[in-house]
Amino acid sequence: MGFTPEVYKLFEDIVGPENVSDDPAVLDSYAFEVLADLVRPEQSHYMPRPVAVALPGTTEEVQALVRVCNVHRIKVKPLSTGWYHFAAPQSDEHDTLQLDMRRMDRILEIDETNMVAVIEPYVIAAQLQAEVMKLGLNINVTGAGASCSILASACAYAGQGPMAYWMGGNAENLLALEWVTPTGDVVRTGSLGSGAGWFAAEGPGPSVRGVCRGTFGSRGGMGVYTKCAIKLCHRPGTTEWNVHGTTPAYRLPVDDLFRVYTLAVPSWDAWADLYYKIYDNEIGYIFHRQFNLAGANLAPAFWLMYNDHTKTLGDVEWMAQDPAVKELTEEMRISFQFIMAGRSTGDIELQDRVLDALLQQVGGWKVERFCEDDMAEFTNMYLQRLGHKHINYVWAGGYVGTWMQIGTPDWVKNYIPIASAGLERDAADGLLVQCGGDAMMGSGSGFPGGGVTGLEQFVSYDANDLESTRAAVRHMEDAVKDAASHGLPPGKEGLYLELSKTDEQVHAELAAANQPAIFRFQRKIKDAIDPNDIGDRLYATLPPEG
Amino acid sequence: MALIDYRPDAMRCTRCSYCKWVPLDLVKSWRYAKGCPSVEHGRFHSYSGGGRLITYLSLLDGRSEVTDRVVDIAFKCQLCGNCDVTCKVCRYDMEPLAAQHEFRFWLVEQGRVPTRYESIIDGYRRRGTMVGDPNTLVGDPQSDGLRWARDLRVKDLNTDRGEVLLHPGCRFSYDGGLGPVARTSLEILQEAGLDVGVLGAGRCCGGRVYHMGYRDDFTTAAEATLAAWEAAGVKTVVTLCADCYHTFKRLYAERGSSVEVVHMVEMVARLLAEGRLEFTEEVPLTVTYHDPCHLGRQGEPYVPWDGVEKKIFGQAVVYDPPRPRYNGAQGIYDAPRDVLRAIPGLELVEMERSREAAWCCGAGGGVREAFPEFNAWTAAERVEEARSTGADAVVSACPWCERNFLDALRGPRGGDGTGVAAPFQDSGVAAAPAGRGVAAPGVTAAADAPFQVFDVLDLVRQALPRKGA
Amino acid sequence: MGNAIGRAVDARDALAEIVRGEHVSDDPATLAGFTRDHSDELPIPPWFVVRPGDESQVRELVGWANATGTPLVPVSSGPPHFRGDTVPGRPGAVVVDLRRMKAIRRIDRRNKLAVIEPGVTYAQLQPALAAEGLRVVTPLRPRAGKSVIAALLEREPTLVPRYHYAFPEPLRNCGVVWGNGEATYTGEAGYGPPSLDAQWAAGMRQVDPKGPAQTDFVRLLSGAQGTLGIVTWASVKCTLLPETRKVVFVPAHRLEHLIGVCGRLQRLRLGEEVLLASGSLLASLMAPMREADRSELPPWTLVVGLAGRAMFPEECLAVQETDVREVVADLGREHGLEVADGLPGIDSDGMLEILTGVSAEPYWRLADKGDCREVFFNATLDKLPDLVAAALWLAEESGYPAADVGVYIQPQQQGVVHHCEFTLPFDPADADEAAAVRAFHTTAVERLAPAGAYFSRPYGPWANPVYARDGGSTAMLRTIKGVFDPNNVLNPGKLCFR
Ligand code: SF4
Ligand code: SF4
Repeated sequence: MGFTPEVYKLFEDIVGPENVSDDPAVLDSYAFEVLADLVRPEQSHYMPRPVAVALPGTTEEVQALVRVCNVHRIKVKPLSTGWYHFAAPQSDEHDTLQLDMRRMDRILEIDETNMVAVIEPYVIAAQLQAEVMKLGLNINVTGAGASCSILASACAYAGQGPMAYWMGGNAENLLALEWVTPTGDVVRTGSLGSGAGWFAAEGPGPSVRGVCRGTFGSRGGMGVYTKCAIKLCHRPGTTEWNVHGTTPAYRLPVDDLFRVYTLAVPSWDAWADLYYKIYDNEIGYIFHRQFNLAGANLAPAFWLMYNDHTKTLGDVEWMAQDPAVKELTEEMRISFQFIMAGRSTGDIELQDRVLDALLQQVGGWKVERFCEDDMAEFTNMYLQRLGHKHINYVWAGGYVGTWMQIGTPDWVKNYIPIASAGLERDAADGLLVQCGGDAMMGSGSGFPGGGVTGLEQFVSYDANDLESTRAAVRHMEDAVKDAASHGLPPGKEGLYLELSKTDEQVHAELAAANQPAIFRFQRKIKDAIDPNDIGDRLYATLPPEG
Repeated sequence: MALIDYRPDAMRCTRCSYCKWVPLDLVKSWRYAKGCPSVEHGRFHSYSGGGRLITYLSLLDGRSEVTDRVVDIAFKCQLCGNCDVTCKVCRYDMEPLAAQHEFRFWLVEQGRVPTRYESIIDGYRRRGTMVGDPNTLVGDPQSDGLRWARDLRVKDLNTDRGEVLLHPGCRFSYDGGLGPVARTSLEILQEAGLDVGVLGAGRCCGGRVYHMGYRDDFTTAAEATLAAWEAAGVKTVVTLCADCYHTFKRLYAERGSSVEVVHMVEMVARLLAEGRLEFTEEVPLTVTYHDPCHLGRQGEPYVPWDGVEKKIFGQAVVYDPPRPRYNGAQGIYDAPRDVLRAIPGLELVEMERSREAAWCCGAGGGVREAFPEFNAWTAAERVEEARSTGADAVVSACPWCERNFLDALRGPRGGDGTGVAAPFQDSGVAAAPAGRGVAAPGVTAAADAPFQVFDVLDLVRQALPRKGA
Repeated sequence: MGNAIGRAVDARDALAEIVRGEHVSDDPATLAGFTRDHSDELPIPPWFVVRPGDESQVRELVGWANATGTPLVPVSSGPPHFRGDTVPGRPGAVVVDLRRMKAIRRIDRRNKLAVIEPGVTYAQLQPALAAEGLRVVTPLRPRAGKSVIAALLEREPTLVPRYHYAFPEPLRNCGVVWGNGEATYTGEAGYGPPSLDAQWAAGMRQVDPKGPAQTDFVRLLSGAQGTLGIVTWASVKCTLLPETRKVVFVPAHRLEHLIGVCGRLQRLRLGEEVLLASGSLLASLMAPMREADRSELPPWTLVVGLAGRAMFPEECLAVQETDVREVVADLGREHGLEVADGLPGIDSDGMLEILTGVSAEPYWRLADKGDCREVFFNATLDKLPDLVAAALWLAEESGYPAADVGVYIQPQQQGVVHHCEFTLPFDPADADEAAAVRAFHTTAVERLAPAGAYFSRPYGPWANPVYARDGGSTAMLRTIKGVFDPNNVLNPGKLCFR
């Protein structure tokens, strides 16, 4: 049992020798993952190394690989674009075959009339968005950004982001799905299984995808998703993508039917009030607290630097001391980005009136410098495409999101001071980037129509500095404690830290969950669907009973 | 610098894979979103910019050893620099391109190079030029490289002194198939009244051996060339080749050269702007411009730097003094376009991947010499993109790009191009019937001709007032 | 006691212990109410009907059912029932009548959320919400006794496509007792303590339907006909109550002519209620109606509700109306479409009442002739004209006049999915008519599915042919059933759980 040269030969027979490798250096390029350093022994940047990596080109090849792995008890871990440690093998004890899905990269269909696109795993958001925009349509590019697989976001990961407020998170937008189960069977969900096309997610009867696509998705731990349909939505205005400007701060002109604002409020209470009022009035198209990722103390200086290609990161230091920038920093301390789109001139003008009235009600304002043409076009570019998400790592190559407990604005506003104080405290020794306690960023709503939001603390550390990396780990642990001491569940850091734990520790935590029965059910589901345990533990379960 | 100096880059790589695409803001279609020829051809992550960082990190960490696969990974890349541009859209602390160079130097020092490299470097050392090697398939190594100027009156700076040197580069010097670009350039410079001369045989800039990883051979070439320039009193070098341009502008400057480096398209743009040159003849063509990697995103001016990493705000990584940021923002993009737009009757259309996001022609980084199939594949992809614009021709400002496109269109020896598989999808390029669909550069452009390849200077020549008219 | 009577006595005692004596019934009249419905399911009387009063009683019932191997049939709505899903599929079943659990647990204006029990009906909920400035989007004129939770769990289409982001919207979180007796909360409530009061005290609300964890439990429950779990409470997303309302109509001779306009409205998320209706359906909805008006109704009508709410409601409605008129002028021109403020016998106010209220007694679908059958499936908008034509042809072929078929098309999921429904009223005393209706109903899957009709909710006789088309889902659903209801105590015999 396990991986042998004979098994390698079987892989070669399935995908062709050019599409499989067991060269250690090649394998390390899959084991190396961002965030690994926060959860692996000795802060290693490597997750467990797969025994081989294979590049399947078809669903049939995926099936065949999965079946071989069932016979030989090798775990299977698929990745689409593979940007963080969840995408890598999770087990040091078991052999894992990594599937790199990059050969399955086609957009199979764009059905404009019915607003449906059908894609394979390696279609990234930027590609699909570019194609549907030609038709005046749009997709929800998730918070992870335009470089990421839309299929992965829809089927296997969180799938939310700045656009979810209007376009829906990709969990909601997932329609029919083709799924190679852990035993190598193909399930086609919704209308697809009945031969009626890709448009309907549910049924017949209960919705099969319910076993694997919850809040987070199975993150590669429950078979392989090989094709899916995604719901599209309207994008008013031009179908041209008239990007201009000098790298890195590209700009997108603001169409007549759009408005691009940075809005600020005097307090977190006013922030929550404004969010609720925006939901009630159903205005807005992209709704995100984006720019604060650079930290409330430094964000204005940082973005002004970024927009001047002759400047570099070190310039932020003196720019932040500029009196005008200091004033701006105070002006936009509690701010967020808000893009509105009207289906007609009358509609966008009305939205503008509504927004002005709402700002007046909560004592808020538009941050003028960031609403001027240059910054508005930059904001427009940034949020329409989300092609700069790698900037999360801009300070020092290491960033970990903490907090981000999802809930109503009233719930979220309560943990902001706790999260801010925690980062301030943990960065005091200079081992984390000191950009202000509030480096919190997040979507206006993670669910279409508004209702739930969340703010993630952007904790930056130097990924090339062991002490800084360790400080980030300590901060994660502190964040869990800070949350617990206020009766709050762990945030994103809790999800990440899970990877550093033994199976026993994970099981103990799941057993202590508020509703452990959930993980008993997931165990039973896994036992039934993945009898040979070729998936990893990211599909969370309590241990087998008895 | 040594490879270990680039360990931080690898440690700070997030495996975001931005380096596999053009800058994401610039993606305009599914078809032309991809930016890295190497990873599209080699497929595994290791063949991307970021993947190479991890590959050498793994070697430095003692987790793996140099295998044939590792050698393939390190060298099967054009060093086109797209990864560098895209990485730096979001990062100030990463130098993926410089790191990949260093990776090659490190392997060359260990004698771990692709099998073809040995004969190539051997030929280079014997002839002093990259052209004419059996692997490069075209060019006449027997000539002295000055045949193109034979009946012109021009200073020979081997023996004479002059402030302006016209440097056509190996490819224009030896590849007779690329037409009268060098000659036209010389005429323009002379008519502009510049004190221009040429240097004769064997004067390779050394850039291409540098890219292959032979740092010492490059140093030898650079020192010899700089000495010759100094002896001749050269203050300005005008080059026709993007590779030479980059080598002079950046690599020589790094070694202390203060000679002004100008690409001929910049010179023409300058002369046009100053009214010292005029286009009168119609060139009724729709063309698309291909940005050569070394003139475009890598064509940024050299900024001296000798600094160290420091931290601000606790952990933010910056450099003291500020480190120059080569990210493609200041490449030479507008000069060739300004020249083309000034040509009467000519319409310029853009490819989706242009300027800092241009897809490489395939020839760079020793790929043309060592990996002909990969080279042809990369070129075919670009030709397909150029054709998709509806243009009649693709125009560039680098003879390597032009040679590569010509080969992609008709096969390297004027054959039918069979074996040049178009990447990603059936392109029709490979299926073009023998010899058709191709016009050699320098042939007068005609709108109804099949798809053509030109140098900017080919079109400039056609637009200039007719002699004696 | 080992004999049948003995078992019954034991059972009665056990049930009485769980729900208290008066809430256990086996009197024939009560049993008769659950023995048959307006479907062709074989009438099977239940053994008992029990009316639990809270979640713990439901848990005990399920525990008892597992221990004794007794089938349970959960029912939340009052009669009439139509789909056969509440008729026991096995003898000896106990109907769990959830109507006693009818508390509106919470109405949260700020989060626009109601938390309700399964017995809460639209007739009960809507006025309570209105008092807080809210309302819930309903299915088309639900019957007064229709359980809100049951309607949403069964993915009954709702009227405002703009708010229908995905199924089973606006249903968000549920409290569930699964077939194996375990109780969990679904969605974000699944992360909190298993007590609503405790969650509320901690500031938690039950908004996000996903999860918890890797599983989307609410989607497993949706369309499950009570075969996997019994829902004991649910949160339902509401909208602000409009302050100003209006309905406009776009009549057309042919359905095809309305497709473009309807699609565009979805794409622009324009309009409040948006639906397509045949003349006969409108007539049933508006009944009683003058015969003269009835005969003058256009064959097809696109009904578009407009609403203004929150800031500037009047302007909000005016902009919508302008935009709707522009879409109709733009895309309807070639077919001569125009926006009308009313139809013969129907004006804006009359239609508003239909769209916002519950049905009078008798239920409107039964009012015409005393009985009816419905055939419904999902399809994409572009396929609808052909599918409708095929269905009407099938009706004729079955001996039922196509002109009498009420056709209702409800865009869902913001225009990606369309619920397409055919209502065939008939006189139960007219054997020929009843046979024709039955023939239409039973052959619908076989005839329409190959043409692209997707029967996502396979009730009664549709289950076999639907699951025969989809072996992958069938196998997976049986696996799921084995996990959540290993002893097959919940509504056995439905779907593919035979
Ligand atoms: S080299 Fe840069 S762009 Fe490429 S994966 Fe690494 S961090 Fe990302
Ligand atoms: S230099 Fe060009 S070919 Fe090489 S890795 Fe970077 S983008 Fe790819």
